Amino acid sequence: MKTFASLLAAFAVSASPLLAQDDAWETQGLTDDAITIGVMGPFSGNASSYSKALIGMMAYYDKVNAEGGVHGRQLVAVQEDTACDSAKGLAAAKKLISQDEVFMLQGNSCSGVAVALRPTIEEAGLPWIVAHAVSDSISDPLAANIFHGVPTGRANGRAMAQFVLSKPDTTNVAIIEHSNDWAHSYSNPARDYLEEQGVTPSLELTMERGQTDATAQVLKLRQEQPDFIIAALYEAETAIFLRDLKKYGMGDIPVMGTAGTDLENTLKRTGDFDTVKNYYVIHSYVDNLDGPLMQPWGDMIHEYYPEEELSTFSFVSIGSAEALVAALEAVGPELTRSKLMAALEEVRDFDTGILSDPITWTPEDHQGVKGSAVAGFVDGEPTVLKAWGQPY
Amino acid sequence: MSQTKMPSARQRRLRSWLFWAVPAVLLLLPLATNPYTQFIANGILISVLVTLGFTLVIGNLGQLAFANTAFFGIGAYASAILAAKLGVPWLLTIPLAGAFGALGGFLASSAALRGIRSYYLAIITLAFGELMRWAYLHAKPVTGGTDGMPMPRETLLGTSLSDDTLKFYIFLAVTVLLVKATLNLMRSRFGRAVMAVRENEVATASLAIPTARVILVTFMWSGFVVGCAGALFARHVGHVFPESFGMLHLIASFAMVLVGGLGSVLGAVLGAVLLTALPEYLRAFPGMEELFFGLIVAGVLVAMPMGLASLLRRVSPIFVERFYREAP
Repeated sequence: MKTFASLLAAFAVSASPLLAQDDAWETQGLTDDAITIGVMGPFSGNASSYSKALIGMMAYYDKVNAEGGVHGRQLVAVQEDTACDSAKGLAAAKKLISQDEVFMLQGNSCSGVAVALRPTIEEAGLPWIVAHAVSDSISDPLAANIFHGVPTGRANGRAMAQFVLSKPDTTNVAIIEHSNDWAHSYSNPARDYLEEQGVTPSLELTMERGQTDATAQVLKLRQEQPDFIIAALYEAETAIFLRDLKKYGMGDIPVMGTAGTDLENTLKRTGDFDTVKNYYVIHSYVDNLDGPLMQPWGDMIHEYYPEEELSTFSFVSIGSAEALVAALEAVGPELTRSKLMAALEEVRDFDTGILSDPITWTPEDHQGVKGSAVAGFVDGEPTVLKAWGQPY
Repeated sequence: MSQTKMPSARQRRLRSWLFWAVPAVLLLLPLATNPYTQFIANGILISVLVTLGFTLVIGNLGQLAFANTAFFGIGAYASAILAAKLGVPWLLTIPLAGAFGALGGFLASSAALRGIRSYYLAIITLAFGELMRWAYLHAKPVTGGTDGMPMPRETLLGTSLSDDTLKFYIFLAVTVLLVKATLNLMRSRFGRAVMAVRENEVATASLAIPTARVILVTFMWSGFVVGCAGALFARHVGHVFPESFGMLHLIASFAMVLVGGLGSVLGAVLGAVLLTALPEYLRAFPGMEELFFGLIVAGVLVAMPMGLASLLRRVSPIFVERFYREAP
């Protein structure tokens, strides 16, 4: 018995550094007055325009800090550049985790980089909220510490098909898309949703990038006369497709586009309202960018970043930042990484006031935003819609 | 006329000793690094091989060929595909990736063997690189398309291959081996033939040296070295994407060759170390990184047109490489 007690004591002594290490890990990057958050984005290189996507989140941190922080702690962002390059992104992540020793990570544009980061961050175990990149592979399969705070490609694709079928008597749906993964990330989930609802696309067409004429595709569509067309095309090709659709007298057929196109930009490209009057696009927000519901968010960004020219990207990360702050509030002053992750998994139907759909994270599903609204012209005005004929 | 003093026998022995002493000291590096700095050190070793392969063709052989990034991508994808789809252990994929890179070198050399030179060769080899990138993007069943190709998780002697320290030792061994092999190759009769082709191809042929074979083998060896680097890169980042093998990578590699010293093995090492580590140090200056990078590259080239290696040559004859071109 005495020997057993000695062994137990020896084990306790030898294990104590390990336990201490766990405690240290739980509160790494945390002080009495600060929570350090690693923010990765493409701040240089060809894709640096995507770094605008992190502005909203940073402005929200500033707003929270100005109001006294969370339980007296300021949110301190440590920014690192990924240059939208996987090797550089990995270096950024390793620096933030092992050298800067941040408490958690939030941000990331560029899905390819985020996918490449996943194994490293999953292994490190600290909380990571993805605030812009949309690839489903970042957060599916489930990783205990990775939370997706924006609609994923799958959510957007399904939202497109839901909207299409919300138009009464829609049974004949055609799909036109580019033959690349970007287009498939929208069209495949849309196709799946249609099949679930018993609708098989009547026509599937491709239009390659850079194509300047869509006559062949439009003539096939004229034979089929679909009720609705799903178009997974980039903005330039979308404008060409809509132009040719109108040219051949099919401008009244509604067309559903992706989040990769902007309603008003498409109007500018075509220069003709009649061409886009039946065009609808995925829109993740509760209002038009210049609408009254978005106004306070724009004002918030301009308060801290007066030079910022607002675009769709500027607002995308605010919702996940709000959800994070709500979870931090819920944990209380005795914050640890495990407690934060547990609190994030308790977020249910969190209305951000900016994203069209709420955020829900459960222990089984960390893809928090399951849908998107749609924007289209109603009575000549750009309008955010929940479903066909239903303004948001 | 060259005024370079050649190293004495004693200095050559010292140089040989130094060659093994540097990696021996580097074995201790993981004691002084964290996962981030270790990751950068691993990246530097990969850059050394990429630059070495590049400088062989454009510096030593004197061919304006830009297929280097194509060899790199071929090696990375070969390693990822063999490991992920066929279950080949990653270590074994390194020489296999090198073999695929050599095959790429064979294809790239075919243009040079048909007598295409100068800017025309540059354009053809650039097109070869873009063609390969197109293939990575569109051969989705094999390459994963834009989703890329993830490397499978693997262990070696009970340690995960995601461990940067373990990777460092493997990368270091491969790098030392390939640098030594390249040095030996360039000091051999074959190396002298490579230099002769660079200086005057017609005169070399008149000496009954098979210039076509020299060009072919140099391209293939370059492809092998860079292909092996591709396999290391695949494990380094854990996920191979087409974007990693574009024009930006080519420009960065070219800058490493020029800054280090065209045609110098030592220069390849110096250029790779400086231009891989520098952007990481410049992280502290967001938005200024590209500017500083450009200024430093331009500054080195203006002050030392023959690169950093020329500076060391002036310091001591130990650093003189016989196969290094003296003047541009």
